[in-house]
Amino acid sequence: MLIAVAVEQGRTEQADGSGGVLTGIATWMENLSEQAYAYLLLVPGFLVLLMFAFWPLASAIRMSFFADVITSGELGAFVGLQNYVRLLTNTNALAPAAFIDPSFQTPILEQALAMTILFAVLSVTGETLLGFLYAMLMKAEYKGRRLVRLLIILPWAIPIVIQGMIFFLLFRPGYGLLTEPLQQIGLFSSLPLNTTFDSFVIVTVADIWKTSAFMALLILAGLESVNQDLYEVADVMGASRWQRFRYITFPLVFPVLMVAMLFRTMGALRVYGIIESTTVGCSTVPSMTCLVTQFMFGSATQYGSAAAVSVLIAIVVGLFIMVYLGFIRRSNQSLGLA
Amino acid sequence: MSIDARNHEDAETFDGSDDGSDDDENKSPVQRWADDWIRNPEKAYAVMLVFLGGVLLTTSLFPLYWLFNVAMAPPGQTDIPIVPATIDLSAFVQVFVQVPFARFMFNSLFYAFTVTLFVLLIGSLAGYAFGRLEFRGKTPLLFSLLVLSFFPPATLFIPLFRAFNQQVPMLGLFTLPVELYGTPGAVITPLSAFTMPLAIFILTTFYGQIPDGLEDAARVEGTTRIGALFRVIMPLSAPGVATAGILTFITVYTEFFFSFLMTGNSAAEWAPVVDGVIAFQTQYTVRYDLQAAASLIAIVPVAILVVVAQDKIISGLTQGALKE
Repeated sequence: MLIAVAVEQGRTEQADGSGGVLTGIATWMENLSEQAYAYLLLVPGFLVLLMFAFWPLASAIRMSFFADVITSGELGAFVGLQNYVRLLTNTNALAPAAFIDPSFQTPILEQALAMTILFAVLSVTGETLLGFLYAMLMKAEYKGRRLVRLLIILPWAIPIVIQGMIFFLLFRPGYGLLTEPLQQIGLFSSLPLNTTFDSFVIVTVADIWKTSAFMALLILAGLESVNQDLYEVADVMGASRWQRFRYITFPLVFPVLMVAMLFRTMGALRVYGIIESTTVGCSTVPSMTCLVTQFMFGSATQYGSAAAVSVLIAIVVGLFIMVYLGFIRRSNQSLGLA
Repeated sequence: MSIDARNHEDAETFDGSDDGSDDDENKSPVQRWADDWIRNPEKAYAVMLVFLGGVLLTTSLFPLYWLFNVAMAPPGQTDIPIVPATIDLSAFVQVFVQVPFARFMFNSLFYAFTVTLFVLLIGSLAGYAFGRLEFRGKTPLLFSLLVLSFFPPATLFIPLFRAFNQQVPMLGLFTLPVELYGTPGAVITPLSAFTMPLAIFILTTFYGQIPDGLEDAARVEGTTRIGALFRVIMPLSAPGVATAGILTFITVYTEFFFSFLMTGNSAAEWAPVVDGVIAFQTQYTVRYDLQAAASLIAIVPVAILVVVAQDKIISGLTQGALKE
């Protein structure tokens, strides 16, 4: 009995002791103004972002103004915009591939900028169309819908390296199932993973295969949030299926569709992993991100040029975002939301 | 059964389903079918849906089937048949014998879990501030998060790579006390920073939707400020937290860029699944069957996650993750 009381006392004391500091902190937080409390909550997040996002970003922008030192991982003298000029005029003799070739000597698919934009346009278009169909399939009600939903979502959750593995195994000569038939009808060469055009097609298809699922998820979310009463009204008014789609579903899903396409465009403009893991590598399909890694790890280390390419990627992404935001704003205005 | 008999049976079923028909005695089954569909468009849509679904699911699943097929083939075989000659599951065991694949998997899962927990915890604090509090500089700070997402991982990579190798000082101020490259930190920190903006956006939207009254009630009951976030706001926003968490987890688990370039290539050096799959490729031999089997094994954890969480993801996205 006595022991029990003693233990009990000990516990309360302990609790008081450890609670003292916590209570102190809690009291201090209670007394902060709303503004000060908000800043306090933002500190951890922005500290992480400052160290691992904002600083590297600023540092990369700064690096892009310094000369390459080919022999070591150091930065050369300040050269202003020279790295950019050399990239945009294709006069960097050591560049693994052209960023853009103003003289039109290089084929389109061997210019990083044109190739990446073409990839983004093709894959995002394909993903949107396929994603819409998938979303309809996930929305309709029938037995076994859970299973269908799972099967549709699954490719999205597959690691990129495995996605690459799959398409590598499908197209590897003498191994893959699809190489020979496609070669016989004259579409592909005998070594599709070493040929720029063939690899470009394969990488685009692989990207559509994997990310249509993500697109479908976002579009499904849009479809589900459409007010179902509207469809009843349309039925009463005798609207056809096409009219229901044209005048209710599409306009209401459009903003979500734009956001989904925006996400995917940003992703597609940074394409790298699927190229590296499916094809022979960046030498066949030189995307913009490929250029960054090649400048960094290639035979000649060119940190300045690598940084300049990554800033150019951000500018391209930024331009695409502007266009999308314009579309989204206009559609909101026409719906009377803005 | 003769062909005639089968035709007859078909004809009967069509008659049966053809309600109120008076003039199609002489029509062929195809015509009756067409008539039936014109009268009942719903039926036609259903058939189209099934057909479309079949085609879509086949294209979506065939690549996975092919992976399975390659895993079944004996080592070194070329021209793999479309149906495996024998069912041979030994590759799925061999995977763990030849390389420490379990460790590679553990590393990847460890990265995904750690980043998700970290991002949800820290992102929640920021999401609460952005979603529920008024302060100066809110819009510029939110905008800075948006701008951050313009940049490709490659941009962040160059300076971080040099800082993690102790070549340049972090933030331009201090050299990291330990070489981070080749440790879990080299992957976890940049991926946290990379996934955090989207998580903050999602959590901001959800936390902002909780009525003030609920929080006030908890505060009157004596909950601390920070307690209100974790005991009231976060549980009430469960679908949003789940959505942010699952998106982060899958992004990290499937990520290629940092996972590939920020780590060494042995499992003991915290290399993730990326390197595990590549490890079957040595200078002289490549075991495609093992790579295929390893790939299928690596899909299992995320497949389970999708099975368990698919409703949460869909409802979370529907309820507002996309509203901003």
